[in-house]
Amino acid sequence: MTSGPRRPARYRAGRTGLGWIAGFTLPALLLYSLLIVVPLVTAFYYGFFHWEGTQRAGFAGLGNYQEVLTRYPLGDEIPVALWHNVLFFVGTMAIQNTVGLGLAVLLYRNPRCKRFFQTVFSLPYLISPLIVGYLWSLLLSPSFGPVNYVLQSVGLDSWARPWLGDPDTALPVLILVNAWQWIGGPMLIFLAALGGIPRELEEAAALDGASSARAFWSVRFPLLMPAVGVITVLTFIGCFNIFDLVYALGGSDGGPGGAMDVLGLLYYRTAFEGGTNAIGESSALAMMIFVLIFGVAIVLERLLRRREVAS
Amino acid sequence: MTSTLTPQRRTRSSPAAPGPRTAQAGTGLRRAGVQLLLWLYAALAFGPLVLVLIGSFRDNADILRQPVGLPTSLGLDNYQRAWETASLGTYFVNSVLVTVASVTLCVTVSAMAAYALSRWRFRGRALLAALFISGLMIPAKLGLLPVFYMYQSLGLIDSRVGLVLLYAASGIPFSIFVIMGFMRGLPTELEEAAKLDGANEGRMFVSVVLPLMRPALAVVTVFQFAPTWNDFFYPLVLMRSDDKYTVPVGLTRFFGEFAADRATLFAGLVIALVPLAIVFAFATKHIISGLTAGMSR
Amino acid sequence: MIGRRSGVLALLGTLTLGLVACSPSASEGDSGTSGDGDEVTLEVWGWRQEDVAAYEKIFQLYEDANPGVTVEYVPYKADEYDTILRTGLGDASGPDVAQLRSYGLLQPLVASESLVPLDDEVEALADFPDELMDGARGVADGQLYGVPFALQTLHVIYNKALFDEHGLTPPQTWDDMIAAFTALKTAGVTPLAATVADTWMLPIQHEIFGASTYGGYDYLDQLLAGTADFTGQPWVDSMTAWQGTSEFWAPQFQGVTYADAQALFTSGQAAMFPGGIWELAVFAQANPDLELGIFNVPPPPGAAVQETLVPGYVDGSFGVSAASPDQEAALDLVRWMASEEFGQAFTDELRQISAVPGVEPADELLAQALEAHLANPSPYVTYAYFSSDQPTAWDLASESLSDFVLGGATAEEAAGHIQQGVSQWFEPQS
Repeated sequence: MTSGPRRPARYRAGRTGLGWIAGFTLPALLLYSLLIVVPLVTAFYYGFFHWEGTQRAGFAGLGNYQEVLTRYPLGDEIPVALWHNVLFFVGTMAIQNTVGLGLAVLLYRNPRCKRFFQTVFSLPYLISPLIVGYLWSLLLSPSFGPVNYVLQSVGLDSWARPWLGDPDTALPVLILVNAWQWIGGPMLIFLAALGGIPRELEEAAALDGASSARAFWSVRFPLLMPAVGVITVLTFIGCFNIFDLVYALGGSDGGPGGAMDVLGLLYYRTAFEGGTNAIGESSALAMMIFVLIFGVAIVLERLLRRREVAS
Repeated sequence: MTSTLTPQRRTRSSPAAPGPRTAQAGTGLRRAGVQLLLWLYAALAFGPLVLVLIGSFRDNADILRQPVGLPTSLGLDNYQRAWETASLGTYFVNSVLVTVASVTLCVTVSAMAAYALSRWRFRGRALLAALFISGLMIPAKLGLLPVFYMYQSLGLIDSRVGLVLLYAASGIPFSIFVIMGFMRGLPTELEEAAKLDGANEGRMFVSVVLPLMRPALAVVTVFQFAPTWNDFFYPLVLMRSDDKYTVPVGLTRFFGEFAADRATLFAGLVIALVPLAIVFAFATKHIISGLTAGMSR
Repeated sequence: MIGRRSGVLALLGTLTLGLVACSPSASEGDSGTSGDGDEVTLEVWGWRQEDVAAYEKIFQLYEDANPGVTVEYVPYKADEYDTILRTGLGDASGPDVAQLRSYGLLQPLVASESLVPLDDEVEALADFPDELMDGARGVADGQLYGVPFALQTLHVIYNKALFDEHGLTPPQTWDDMIAAFTALKTAGVTPLAATVADTWMLPIQHEIFGASTYGGYDYLDQLLAGTADFTGQPWVDSMTAWQGTSEFWAPQFQGVTYADAQALFTSGQAAMFPGGIWELAVFAQANPDLELGIFNVPPPPGAAVQETLVPGYVDGSFGVSAASPDQEAALDLVRWMASEEFGQAFTDELRQISAVPGVEPADELLAQALEAHLANPSPYVTYAYFSSDQPTAWDLASESLSDFVLGGATAEEAAGHIQQGVSQWFEPQS
């Protein structure tokens, strides 16, 4: 049933009344337009004005954009923050999703206590990222944190570090903490996808004499590609929108020497810790971030879809 | 479609493997290794929470002296202090109200729109679908300031209704995306049969389509629930009075107040986490079967 | 036709369903400000969550003297207060009176005309010294927007018991101080509980250890006149003087947060805490057995001045929201806040130095701090005087001091960072 060309699911072309169409689509459309689309368009509009606190002053044209891009040190912080977002995305894809896949495969092969493990692995997902951040900054504190304390008491003194205070370790720690929280997502999605792959395919490969590792990579992995696609897009959006966790781990400055500074924090600082023209400047910045995320996400989605069709 | 988990288990126990004895020993060892790995990760996932739980029973001075250690007594002083000062009870009720209402609203309107978009053909359908789906990529928080001013003029500042509407709206793209994907793989026979029986669109949606959609609705609910429950940014800016705060905002206040008193902090964390953990443990089965059904189209 | 109508009905149905489902909160959302009749409730917003009980007592005095008026102190978390206040002012459900940050952080509120100018409303402000009023002045129009409530002075706070135990007394010279630090370190006590990870504490510590090196108000005058800048040798040296004490900070100080540093000090693991006088109340609450003392850092060799300077600044002020429905009552309250009665209650209840002239703190340490500051005052340069536009010297200093102490920049580079940022908007007054 799952293979072979699907019959077109739509039927009774053109016979549904306009009233029904409106009644079914308008509630969602209204909510979505009023509270998501209109505010973004408004922000775009705000970005063209100079602001005096919360009062709109003169038309500024592209002045705010120019100000944001050229003012020292803000102009220099934008590419740095963007780069951190990229690193964060790459690191998360590499760690969270491979470990998630690994755990899913282990659980799939070994269903004993499966429910228990699924629950435990996904538990951190329930905690607000902000609380996760506070929690880990308590655990990683150099003076009172259990992590360094344990390392020191098992003789690994040289491993004890000011984790969140050292520019070299701050970003990797951020990636790991984030992965710790979200690992349940990819794991559940992969597990569901694995469960959906017909058993016969692998048995056929086993009969052909392929090792189980070979069988996994050549038979099952390609069939997981749609799941990988979904996870990639979700991870991308999540990574470029990150705010709460970094804020809790490193404050609004983005940790030591700005080592964890990301676009979300940059926007927060311009909007809520900015000066008199904060609304104008932060709206301009918001638009640039929006165009970037939206553009990349669309390209990413297209690429993945093409690949899915091709396979 | 819903029973993808059961057949595997049956195949596993079937003695189909070639070379039974040697393979058995090998798999036995391997199985132990797999168990070990799983338990190791479980320790990693759960360990920090256990540290918090233990810490919540200890004395603050004790924690400062020795970060890891067992409580000297099982006193509930920390819990009492956390419960009394943090008014977590109020925050909890607010969080439940706001989250349940917004997820319900979001799933309802999204299910209707997704049904229309995937089953009916009308002008502008593709454009409308694209408009909704593109919302997946919109960082909605960037529109916070305009939302604030809009709410101010509508008198929705410091109102839980405003919060509910906002959360519902921001969940629509993802919900429509998932439900439309699900509908695409759903055969239309039942709907056609109902149509022949003379059901109108509304009746059909409620009595035929909604029950069929259930797995997709479960996935959407799960994925909307946690982020809404955990969000702190919107209520921070849009809510004013203490008695309308949700748990995350309340907790940040609590964290500010007790920054130096780790023991009380830990107790507060435990209070905030336990109910959710219980709900989650009970709901896991439904969450997982929903996801499985959603993914294995 | 019928189809269309039922569709619209379905739409209305869903909308009302959605609204009804969550209606328990729908009405009565107002913050309790009712303008009619004799009963007035004034909401006072602030960022001091730890002070609620004290403010209740203080405002009780006012309520007793003014029947019909209820004053409510509504605190928010300090980190988020600015965000909340910016959006809350100018909204009738916002505050009537609000604690305002000083200097640069005040300017956006002034620009959006969310505050009532107080020059003609509160006569007692004329008696406040000019340096104090700088904190509550709009830079663009020179008008006053708040009644300052607290003067914050910056010191090294020390643990008397630990000092006695190691035979130490507050140092009179820089060399004394370094010797004391060394003695503590050798004895296995962390000499200084310095905050590093929360960068807003860095400029404060820099003022404590560097003020006399750059020269306090004298250098500030040169900076303001444009005859010196942040890359000048005195300023660079002052940064080095502060950073030189880092060998006496906690192990792995890079990761020490504000809360960690406070805990290090109150748990007796560290002997000193460089910070503001407001810490006294915090420390006393965290560990009531702690016996505290304060001293200021004597000038190091090569310092610009030979006095032991005591930095101080205005922490904040109380202003009146222009959108308040009870503006007259709010102005009355703010007038009272400029009186000695309020000042005395403030210093007694909150253990802080009142900004009201003539009010003597009963607390011995506060009196010592105030006296020392009045004798040898020094400004909080980056926060108070170079923060009226973006980027503020305060933000720049926080960043660059962090880079400097983490080894990411030299003192010259860190000073250059401040200067490069500030010079984009700063016009010397000549």
